[in-house]
Amino acid sequence: MKLPPLLRHALIALLVVLLLAAAFLVLRAYKHRPNRGLPYHDSFAKGSADEWKEYGGTWEVTNGEMRNDSDQRGAKLLTGSPYWRNYSIEADVTLLGVSGDAGLTTRSSNEEEGVDAYSGYYAGIRTRDNSLVLGRAEHGWMEVNKQIPGSDEIRPFNWYHLKLLAYDCQIAAAVTTPAHAIPVTLAINDQECVRSGRVGLRSFSSGGIWRNVVVRPATHHDLVEMLQGTGSQEDSEPRNAVLEDFELLGLRHALQQQKATARSHENIQSIASLRLSSSAKPATATVRGVVILTAPMLFVEDSTGGVSIPQPNAPPLKVGDAVEVTGEVHPGDFSSTIEHATVQVLWAQAPMPPASVTAAQASTGKFDATFIEVQGRLTGKERGPGNTLVLDLDEGPQSFRAIINQRSSESLFRRLKPASSLRLRGICIVDPAFTKNLTPFVLLLRSNEDLEVLAGPPWWSAGNVIAIAVASLLLALLTIVLYHHIEQSRLRAILDERERLAHEIHDTLAQSFAGIGFQLQAIRNALSEEMTPLHQQLELASTLVRHSHEEARRSIATLRIENLESEDILSALVLCARRMVEGGSVQVVSEKLGDHRSLPLRIADTLFRIGQEAIANAVRHAHPATLIIRLKYNAHSACLEIEDDGLGFVQGGSQLGFGIRGMRRRAQSISAALQIDSNPGEGTRIIITAPLPPRITLISWPKLLWKYVRERGIYARHSKHTHSDFYRR
Amino acid sequence: MDEFNQDGDTTSGIGFRRGLAGIACALTLCLGACSSHPQVRIAVIPQTEGSHWDPAHAGAEAAADRTGTFIYWNAPTREDDVETQIALVERVVDDNYQGLVLAPDQALSLISPVHRALSHGIPTVIIGSPLRISAGGNLFYILNDDAEGGRLAAQRVAEQLKGHGTVALLGINPDVAGIMIRARAFEQYLYQNDPGVRIVQKRMGSFNLPHEQQVAEDTLRANPELDAIVALTSATVDGILSSLETSREKRTVKIIGFDTARLPPFEGKTALDCVIQEDTRAMGQRAVELIQAKRQGQTVPAVTYLHPKLISRDNMNTPEVRRMLSLDWKLGHWRWSSTH
Repeated sequence: MKLPPLLRHALIALLVVLLLAAAFLVLRAYKHRPNRGLPYHDSFAKGSADEWKEYGGTWEVTNGEMRNDSDQRGAKLLTGSPYWRNYSIEADVTLLGVSGDAGLTTRSSNEEEGVDAYSGYYAGIRTRDNSLVLGRAEHGWMEVNKQIPGSDEIRPFNWYHLKLLAYDCQIAAAVTTPAHAIPVTLAINDQECVRSGRVGLRSFSSGGIWRNVVVRPATHHDLVEMLQGTGSQEDSEPRNAVLEDFELLGLRHALQQQKATARSHENIQSIASLRLSSSAKPATATVRGVVILTAPMLFVEDSTGGVSIPQPNAPPLKVGDAVEVTGEVHPGDFSSTIEHATVQVLWAQAPMPPASVTAAQASTGKFDATFIEVQGRLTGKERGPGNTLVLDLDEGPQSFRAIINQRSSESLFRRLKPASSLRLRGICIVDPAFTKNLTPFVLLLRSNEDLEVLAGPPWWSAGNVIAIAVASLLLALLTIVLYHHIEQSRLRAILDERERLAHEIHDTLAQSFAGIGFQLQAIRNALSEEMTPLHQQLELASTLVRHSHEEARRSIATLRIENLESEDILSALVLCARRMVEGGSVQVVSEKLGDHRSLPLRIADTLFRIGQEAIANAVRHAHPATLIIRLKYNAHSACLEIEDDGLGFVQGGSQLGFGIRGMRRRAQSISAALQIDSNPGEGTRIIITAPLPPRITLISWPKLLWKYVRERGIYARHSKHTHSDFYRR
Repeated sequence: MDEFNQDGDTTSGIGFRRGLAGIACALTLCLGACSSHPQVRIAVIPQTEGSHWDPAHAGAEAAADRTGTFIYWNAPTREDDVETQIALVERVVDDNYQGLVLAPDQALSLISPVHRALSHGIPTVIIGSPLRISAGGNLFYILNDDAEGGRLAAQRVAEQLKGHGTVALLGINPDVAGIMIRARAFEQYLYQNDPGVRIVQKRMGSFNLPHEQQVAEDTLRANPELDAIVALTSATVDGILSSLETSREKRTVKIIGFDTARLPPFEGKTALDCVIQEDTRAMGQRAVELIQAKRQGQTVPAVTYLHPKLISRDNMNTPEVRRMLSLDWKLGHWRWSSTH
C-alpha cells in the first residue's frame, strides 16, 4: 500500500524525532551512570589536577602530591561525577597544622566556598582531640568522632591512610595510623542520606597534603569488610600501608625543638631595617613575620615590609605561619634577602591581609616582597615555564605581570578574556629575575583564588562593533525587502479586486444591458408599424441601453489587466486601445525602443493606468485617425508616450480635466515626470518618464540602501507640499 | 550682466565664493604643513627643574643649536613627582617626538612608559641614573659614574678623618638607582681600604627638606662624636646644613655632599667640605648629539659613563667647574615651561 506523501513525510519526521529522543535518553543514561569514570586514580604524580575544582585554599600539585598551604577553614578541592552513588575514596593524608583537621569528602554536591558550604559527608583526622571525625554537611555540620587509641597519635607531618566508604545510607570511615596497623573505624547510618555526589579533599584550620587518591565502586561486602577492619589492607598494600615519612618526622622534631627555642632571640629587627644593613660585609639578623608565600621562594612579611628567603632551613611551612628567621642579610634596593636562613615556626593561623594599592604605587618598589592587592586590565595571557600562567596587565600608564604558579587550570586559562578587569592578590616582586626588565613588577599569585574577574571585556570591541554594523545593515535590507514584498502583495490584492469587479460588471451589468436591449428589440418588433411614437421611444431606449452597454464594456476593459506581470505593458495598452476603438477607424500603432526589462509591478501598473487614461481621452475627445503607443527602455528609466493626431486642445488650467489630474497624481506616486504636449488641430502627445530602481548586486546594495533611505526622506518632506515639483509640466 | 542660478545667486558671486574657498584650502594646507613638524623635535625631561639638572638644558640647547633641532624642555616640580614625569613621557610619545632624553625620577615606575616610547620607535636616552631596562636598539644610557662618586666620597672622608673616625650615610633613596650605587660603592671602599673609618649610621632619605632636616638632627643627637656625614642628595645636604644652623651646639662635623644646584654654598657653611657633582650639562649635550647621530645612521655607544667631579673650595672657580655648572642659556634658542 502506498502512503500519501504528506503522511509519509510525517511518519519519517516522527521516526527521526523518536530516534533523537532515544539517543538523548541513552546519552543521558550513560552520563548519569552511577559508576561512570570509576575507578579513579589521581594524576598528581604527573603534576596534573585539571579535573579538580577548588573552593578556597591554596591548592597546588608539588612532588606528586596535592598540597593546601592555607589555614582557611573548610577549603575544598572536588572532582568526580555528581551521579556517583556507592563507592569508596581513600588517600594518604598529612596535616600541616597543629589545630585543625584534614580529610576526604564523599557524595558532595551544591558546593560553594565556605566552611560547611556543601551537601555530603566528610571524614578527617583531627589533632585537637586526636580523633577520627565523620559527619554530614548540609550547609551546616553534624558529626560523630572517635578517639584514636593512644595519647599522641594524630600529629602534623605524619602520613595517615584515610578511607571513606558510602553504600546506600551507610557511611563508614577508617584511618590507619603509623602506630596501629589495624584501622580505626567509624560509621554512621543516615536515614535520609545524600544518595550521590562527588568526592573531594578538605581541610579545616590546617593545611594538608594528599596523595594516592583512589575512588572505586563499593559493594555491601566492601562495607562489611571495612567495618570489620580487614578490607583495606588486602588489595592495595602500597596505598594502605601507613607511610611513615622519616624526613617529615625529623621535621616534626625540629619543629618541636624550634618551638622550644622560639623565644630565645632578643635582637629582633624589623624587616625594613634590613635594607640599611651593610652591603660591604655580610651581617646576621633575625626578623619575625608571617609567611606570605612558600613557592617558588619563601617570603615573609612584617608590618614594615617583606623579605625573600631562598632555600631556607625550615620545616614545611604554610601561608599564615608566623615565623622567626635568622640568617645572612643581603640588602637590596627595595627589599632584602636573607640567605642561609633558619626558620622557626612560632605559631600558625596568622594570615597577613593584602595591602590594597594601585599599579602606580606598586611600580615604585615600595611594596617589594609584600602581599598586595591590585587591579588591572588584562592585555595578554600565555603559558609560562613549569605550567605557570602568565598574565599581562596594565593600569593607566603602568604595565605589570601576574604569574600563577603550577596550579592554573585550562578552564581558568580559557575563562580569562583579554580586556577584562581583574583584581589580583599576590606577592609584589621587582626582582629582574621575575620581571625580565619588561615591567616594573610582577605579582606572584598563590592560587587561582587570588584572581577575581571584576568585569569582562567591554562590548564595544572592534569585532562586536563590526558585527553590529553588519547586522544593522542586514536588518535594514531585510526591512526593505519585506516592505517591498508587502507593497507587492497590496498591489496584487488591488488588481485582484479590480479583476473581480470587472467580472462582476461583466456578469451583471453588461449581461443585464444586453438582456434589456434584446427585450426592447423584441417589444419593438412586436409592435405594429403604426405606433410610430412608441417606436421612437423604444429606439431611444435601445440607444441608451447600447451606450450603457458600451460604457460597461469599457469599464471592464479598464479594470482588467491580463497578464500584466508576464507581458510588457505595451502589449496590454495596445490590446486595451484596440478594444476601445473596436469597430471604429482609428489605427493603433505601437513602438518599442531599447532593451526590454521587466518593470516593478507598481511602476508597470501606474504606467498602464496613465496610458489607459490617455488612450481613453484620445478616443473619446480627440477623434484621431492614428494612435501611437510608444515605450522606451532607458538605462535608468522607462518612458511611455501616447500620441494621437486628433483635435488637440489648448493647455491651461481651465481645461485640465479630472483625467489629467488623475494622471499627474498617479505619476507622482512613482516619482515619474508627466509631460503633455498639445495644440488645437495638432494632436496630443503625453510622455510619462518613470525612474527605474537600479539592479541590486552584492556590491551595490549598501549604496542603494542609502539612496533609498535618502529618497524616502526627501519624498516624505516634499509630500507635505500641495504642489510638488517632481512633475514637470 | 550677472546670471542667476536656481538659488538666486549671481555667477560672479559664486566665483568670489569659490575664490575664498580656494584661499581657505591653501591656508589649511599651509597650516597642515606647518603643523606636520618638519623640524626635528627632541624632548628633554630631567628629574626636576631649578636643580642641578638645569645645566642639562643648556647642554641640550647647545647641541640642538648646531643642527636646528627643537628642544622641548619640561620636568616635574619635585624629584619625587613620578606621575607628572610619566605623564610628560606619555605626552612626548603621543606627540611623535623624534627623540626623548629622560633623567628618571624612579628606577621602576618609568619602565613601562619608556617601553612604550621605544615601541613607538622613539630613540630614547636615559641620563643620570639607570632604569632596569637593558640598553640596545633605540635605548641608550649616558650615566653618571655613581660608583666612582661613592669612591670619591669615601676617599675624601678617609682623607679628612685621616683614616680613623665615624661617619653617617644619609639620604639613601632606592627610588634613584644611582644613589644606591653611590652608597654601596662608598661602603665597599671604606670596608676594603679604610676600615678605621666606621659607618655608625645609615638612614633612608627623601627629597623632602623638613624630613631630611629631621633625620639630620636625629643623627647628630644620636652620635655626638660623629666626625663626618655623607649626604647622598642635595636635599640631604640642605637638611644637614639647616640642622647645623639651628643647633645650639657647635659641631665640627664634616659634610660631603652630592649634586647641589649651581655652585656649592661654601661661603658661611664651614661644615660643608665638598660636593661631588654629576656633569648634567655634558649629559644633556651628549644625549641630544647621540639622538642626532642615531638619526643619521651613525653607530653610537649603548652606554656611556661620565665622571663626576669633586668640587671643593680649592677648585670651585676653575674654568672646568664653571663650565660644568654653567647656566648660560644664550647658547641655545631655549624655551621651557613648568607643569604647574
